[in-house]
Amino acid sequence: MKRKPALLLLLAAVAYVLAAWAVTPGFYDGFTQQQPYRWTNPPPAFKNNNQPPLSGRAQAKVAANGQVDPGTVATDDGQASVTYAPGAFVAPADRSPVTVSIAPVANYPNPSGLQVATNVYCFTASAPLAQGKDVLITLTYSDQLPAPADIYDYRDQGPWQKLGSTGSAAPFTISVRSTGLSCFAGAYPAKAGQNAQGTRLGGGQTLPIIVAAAILILVLAGLPLALLRRRQSEPPPPPPPADQSSEPRHRKRRPGSRR
Amino acid sequence: MHSLAAHAATGLWRRALWLALLVLGLETARTLAGRGPGWASPSLLLGGLALCLMAVRSSPATLGLGWHRLPERLLGGLGLAVVLLLPAAARWGGGPSLGPELALAAIAVSVGEEIAFRGVLFSALLDLGGPALAVLGSTALWTIAHALAHPPQFLPAVAGAGLLLGLWRWACQDLVGPIVGHVLADLAL
Repeated sequence: MKRKPALLLLLAAVAYVLAAWAVTPGFYDGFTQQQPYRWTNPPPAFKNNNQPPLSGRAQAKVAANGQVDPGTVATDDGQASVTYAPGAFVAPADRSPVTVSIAPVANYPNPSGLQVATNVYCFTASAPLAQGKDVLITLTYSDQLPAPADIYDYRDQGPWQKLGSTGSAAPFTISVRSTGLSCFAGAYPAKAGQNAQGTRLGGGQTLPIIVAAAILILVLAGLPLALLRRRQSEPPPPPPPADQSSEPRHRKRRPGSRR
Repeated sequence: MHSLAAHAATGLWRRALWLALLVLGLETARTLAGRGPGWASPSLLLGGLALCLMAVRSSPATLGLGWHRLPERLLGGLGLAVVLLLPAAARWGGGPSLGPELALAAIAVSVGEEIAFRGVLFSALLDLGGPALAVLGSTALWTIAHALAHPPQFLPAVAGAGLLLGLWRWACQDLVGPIVGHVLADLAL
C-alpha cells in the first residue's frame, strides 16, 4: 500500500477511536436502545430528563374451542411484556375476555442483597393461569447501567425470589418463564461489585479477550504472510554466467569427451 | 461527442441517486420494522438480504470482492475489527449477549450493509466523481441511514466507522476486509 492511503487510513482509525470513546460501547446496526429508559425511581444521573414509565392493558378473547387466545401484552412504552400460549389462562365460565394488566410500581418490599436494575412491574390477570401452563415475562433494561443477571419476583409482601433468566430475544431485554403472575424486576446480587454509576463494571471479559486473540492472530499470521509475500516479490537470482571459467574446477573431463 | 459524454454523465448521476435512495429506503424500512414487537431479528435478517440483492447486477470485481490475496484481505478484516472494537474493549463492562437468532441477523445486516454501501454505492460514486466522492459520499449516506436507529451522540462514531471502512475499500480495492471487520464488530458488540 502506498504511503498516502496508509496515512489516511491511520488518521481515520484514530478519528474513529476518539469518536467511539465518547459514547457507550456497543452501537452497531440498531442494537442500541431507541429511547431512554423510563424510571419509576430514576438513579441520580437520570433524574433530570426522566419520563415516568407507562402501564399496559389488553384483553385476550376466549376462542370457539373454549381456550383463551394466545397473545402478548406490553406496556405502552414497551419496557415490560407478557407472552402467553393458547389456553394459558383458565377461561371464565361466561366466556368473557381475560384482561391482562401490567403496571410499574414505586413501592415494593426491600430487595435486600439485590441491586434492582429495572423498574418493578406488577402483572395481573382477571383469570388465573391454567394448571401446568406458564407465561413469558420480558423486561427491558437501560443501556446506560449494568445489565441484570436474572429476573426476580415477589408475591403479596413476601420476599424476593430468583426466577432466573431464559436469555433475551432482543438486545437490552431479559426474559423468564413463570408459572404465575406477580411483581417482577431484573436484578443482580449487590455483592457482585457492579457499579451503578456507569457502564464500567466488573462483568465479563469476553470482548477484551476476543480483541486480544484477534491481535495475536494478526501478528502470528501477518508476519509469516508478509515475509512470504516479500520473498515472492523479490526478483529471482540471476542465472550463473555461462563462461567456462565459472565451471567448477573439480569437474574433470571425461575421457573422449569433446569440447 | 459532447452530447454523448453529457448523456453518460447524466446516466451516472441518475444511477447513483437511485441507488442512494434505494439503500436509504431499505435501511429506513428495516429500522422501522424492527421496532415492532418480535420483529428485531426478522427485520435485520430481511433487511440484510434485501441490501445484498442490490448487488445482483454487479460483478464481484466492481464490488471489491475476489479471491486474489485472500489471506491478506481476511487479515485486513481482522485488523479493522480490532480497531472497531478497541474503544469498547478498553472499557468493557458486559453487554447484551446475542442469541443465535440475533447473531444470524447481525451477520446478515453487516454483510448487506457492506455490499450496499461500500460495494454497489461506492462503485457508482467512484464512476461518477472519483475516489473522494466515493469515500465521502458512501460515508455520508451510511451515517444518514443510521440516524434513525441511533441517538445523535452515536453518529460521529458511526461516521468514523464508515470513513475507516470506505477508505479501506478505496486504498486496498477490497470489500472482503470491511465485511469481515463489520461482521466481527457486530457479533462481538
